[in-house]
Amino acid sequence: MQAKQYIGESWKHGILIIGAILVLLPFYMMVSMSLKSQQEIQSISGGLIGAQEVQTFPVCVKTGYSEETCTTKPYIYNYWFAFEKAPIPRYLMNGVIVTLSIFIIQVLVALPCAYALAKLRFYGREFVFSMVLFCLLIPVHGIALPLYVMLAQAGLVDTYSALILPWTISVFGIFLMRQFFMTVPDELIDAARMDGMGEYSIVWKVMLPTAIPALLAFAIFSVVAHWNDYFWPRMVITGNRDLFTPPLGIREFRGGIDSDEFGPMMASIVTVTVPLIVAFIIAQKRFIEGITLTGMK
Amino acid sequence: MIIILIFPLFLAGGISFTDYNLGNKSLEWIGLENYEKMFSRKTYVKMIWATATYVIVVVPISVVLGLCAAMLLNSLRFGADIYKTIFFLPVMATLLAMAIAWEFTLHPTLGIVNSFLANGCGGAREFIFGFHWLPWVDSQQSWYHVACANNMDFPYWLKQKNTAIWTICFIGIWQAFGFNMVLYLAGLTGIPRELYQAAEMDGAKSTWEQFKLVTWPMLGPTTLFVVTITTIRTFQVFDTIEILTKGGPSKTTYVMMYAIFEKAIQQNLTSIGAAITVVFIGFILILTFFQRYIIEKRVHY
Amino acid sequence: MGTISLKNISKSFGSTEVLKDLSVDIKDGEFLTLVGPSGCGKSTLLRIIAGLEQQTSGDVLIDNKNVNKIRASERDLAMVFQSYALYPHLSVRRNLETPLRLRDYNSFERLPLIGNLSPNKKQKTESINQLVSKTSETLKISELLDRKPGQLSGGQRQRVALGRAMVREPVAFLMDEPLSNLDAALRVHMRSELSELHSSLKTTFVYVTHDQAEALTMSSRMAVMIDGNLLQLDTPQEVYDNPSSLSVAQFVGSPKINIFKGSSDSSGTVNLLNLNLKRKSSETNLELNIGIRPEHLEISNQSDEDTFSAKVSYRENLGSDIFFHVNTEDGMNRIIVRGIPQLTHEISNGSTVNIKRAPNKALLFNQEGKRVQFNNA
Repeated sequence: MQAKQYIGESWKHGILIIGAILVLLPFYMMVSMSLKSQQEIQSISGGLIGAQEVQTFPVCVKTGYSEETCTTKPYIYNYWFAFEKAPIPRYLMNGVIVTLSIFIIQVLVALPCAYALAKLRFYGREFVFSMVLFCLLIPVHGIALPLYVMLAQAGLVDTYSALILPWTISVFGIFLMRQFFMTVPDELIDAARMDGMGEYSIVWKVMLPTAIPALLAFAIFSVVAHWNDYFWPRMVITGNRDLFTPPLGIREFRGGIDSDEFGPMMASIVTVTVPLIVAFIIAQKRFIEGITLTGMK
Repeated sequence: MIIILIFPLFLAGGISFTDYNLGNKSLEWIGLENYEKMFSRKTYVKMIWATATYVIVVVPISVVLGLCAAMLLNSLRFGADIYKTIFFLPVMATLLAMAIAWEFTLHPTLGIVNSFLANGCGGAREFIFGFHWLPWVDSQQSWYHVACANNMDFPYWLKQKNTAIWTICFIGIWQAFGFNMVLYLAGLTGIPRELYQAAEMDGAKSTWEQFKLVTWPMLGPTTLFVVTITTIRTFQVFDTIEILTKGGPSKTTYVMMYAIFEKAIQQNLTSIGAAITVVFIGFILILTFFQRYIIEKRVHY
Repeated sequence: MGTISLKNISKSFGSTEVLKDLSVDIKDGEFLTLVGPSGCGKSTLLRIIAGLEQQTSGDVLIDNKNVNKIRASERDLAMVFQSYALYPHLSVRRNLETPLRLRDYNSFERLPLIGNLSPNKKQKTESINQLVSKTSETLKISELLDRKPGQLSGGQRQRVALGRAMVREPVAFLMDEPLSNLDAALRVHMRSELSELHSSLKTTFVYVTHDQAEALTMSSRMAVMIDGNLLQLDTPQEVYDNPSSLSVAQFVGSPKINIFKGSSDSSGTVNLLNLNLKRKSSETNLELNIGIRPEHLEISNQSDEDTFSAKVSYRENLGSDIFFHVNTEDGMNRIIVRGIPQLTHEISNGSTVNIKRAPNKALLFNQEGKRVQFNNA
């Protein structure tokens, strides 16, 4: 009995480990390349971190830096050069600005709407809600083109507004918060009204605090989606590097850096990918719960 | 408020019947011409074909893989959390970055995949990945053996007509299954243990019988949801295509989102892009309603 | 046949021992109740019988055959679960059919479409249909067969769960608190139905409950378990009248038995409060716990040497009975006395009453809670 269970267990682990290796393969490649020197990359040697021999990097010298600055260990060079070649902090900053503004506006819009749909009785409420359900089925990426045309007509292409505006009304957020508010007892709201609160202060002072867990889940969902989004920024940001979000920055790197300088390029990719992954690993329970909660409605 | 979403739908519909291009002052009503083009030109047929292949391959495999992974993890005594974290990583990571990482992993000269294969010529790897263990595969004719014999001529995964779309599909599955797994894990914890015990008492001996009697039907709502959301997501594949293949080689990976982008933004043929958009939205809506309608009846209790 | 023997069963979860060396012999056709407060291990014991849980040591014998190594699905037992555990996606009919289909059809016959090609399937299907309709008639659920469990009331689900256990005529029925999810009125009603079902089926029932009233009303024998130990196994009447220990006495009976502090003197005469019980304990010079059930105390008009006085703190009127919660004068004991409504209706909270005990009903327990007998002198 015991032996049989052990066999079953190790068999499962075997399969899962193979799966895990496949999943981790590109991550390994990415980190490894960001640490190794060009020669090691090209000869596929050096394992994960390479030999880390101090050497002079020719591309660096060609770009105009002194030979002294260009002589260092590969991993230092890769990351240093990545930051020298492109305004990575700027990209990251843009990512933060865009995702945070999207999320804050989404909440500002979704909370009152959800509250109205869940707790107020008004003419046409059912109709509005069925519209919400219908819109839930329309993928925003799908209507990107007409949105783009509208923004172009308004002269907003290549601005922060273009990055943020289309996402401000999250039907999904409205729906999610409405479902959550439905579970809040009416007595709580009635009690607040008895205490003399207006509808707006009810939303912000009563409903908001009760909705923190749902909001957190939605925050994770929203931030992950928009930090990683590439399609939309690619459409509306055509040339202005100051507005590049992290994924656009990555793309720039891939095209921009001399094709035989893979180290710095991978370093920049790691830099852009790392914030979310670290956040995920630190708070993975929250993340998975959040994604599941938003996923299961 | 909802105008932001609904209005563009009609706008796209409207534009698709005209010859409007961004920047034009005038536009002309050309009726169905854009749609005629779409259904007659080879490019667009290929586009539909590529999209369909991608969706049909990625959705079922990533759903089934997600389910299998969830059930395996659920039956594990220890270590489940580690695997869960690992399998969920691709969902969190910036897909664009990962696409580039894959590009190098699969790179013909720099990638570890091909070097792994090349180092395995004549060894166990050739036996396993060349499918020599299948009775009908001639070990002298297998793709692996031929590649070894021809000076390590392994596939240029993303650059070759016959492999590009499958490689893109693989990356799609790689990225999507962790998400499905997490949803299924949540679904599995929702199944009462007593139901399995009842099945056991009723005489369901094998794991398969219990799966058929309890797990699968109880996961019905989860499956409905997982399939719907994965379908919608796979339809929107763009990042990997744009960065890795640009629709090529010879349009084998020319999916709809990329076509919209290329036509409308890069070539400034807004009206054609709009027509593709309309077809695209139509596809998604039809599929979603179809799934809801068909499965809802069988899933709810 | 349907005898079940448990020999020296122990079970631990990690370092906590939930069952401690238990042995029970369940006779063919009897209604045995495992009763005890929650957490006493009674459900675990039932699961060990079912095979859903593996004992740490000891043997389970069904019909004198050791089944330690036999899986739950092959022990030919049926179980009714607390949550009913009906398959929510299947109709009532399919729920009833499932145990039969899984046992009677071979794996080929269970395949959709192709399975119908098997020559025996038709015949088997017919016999299944017959069994299902017979069972549903017995349980009066024939008109529910095409519904799904979600559309049924609690009582109806309960019947379906019973039906699923009954269709295939198992060696014994195992029931894990099957009535605890029903409302009070229905629960009382189902007790009588279950008893009737048992007497008509004549199969062995093993029934787990935390409700001593269910155990008293339904079982042929009841096993009282506390903290993983089997304290007493006997007929309900015997357990009630003659509990083996203080814990059993306190667990069985509602309202709870009254416990007084008392002692026996050097001659063995037992005293409590200021009363002399006029009976001698088998052991002398002992601190004692003396148990008297509420119905063995009564409110008396006059005070004499057999009564003690107490103050009523709460009058609990149940209609057919009135229970008086009273405090004795020394303030040490809070006890419950049963009063007959006609005689006691004018007594109100706060009044002082004389309480008389019925003779020869007191139970003695020593400080450890063990039963101490009276000398039959």
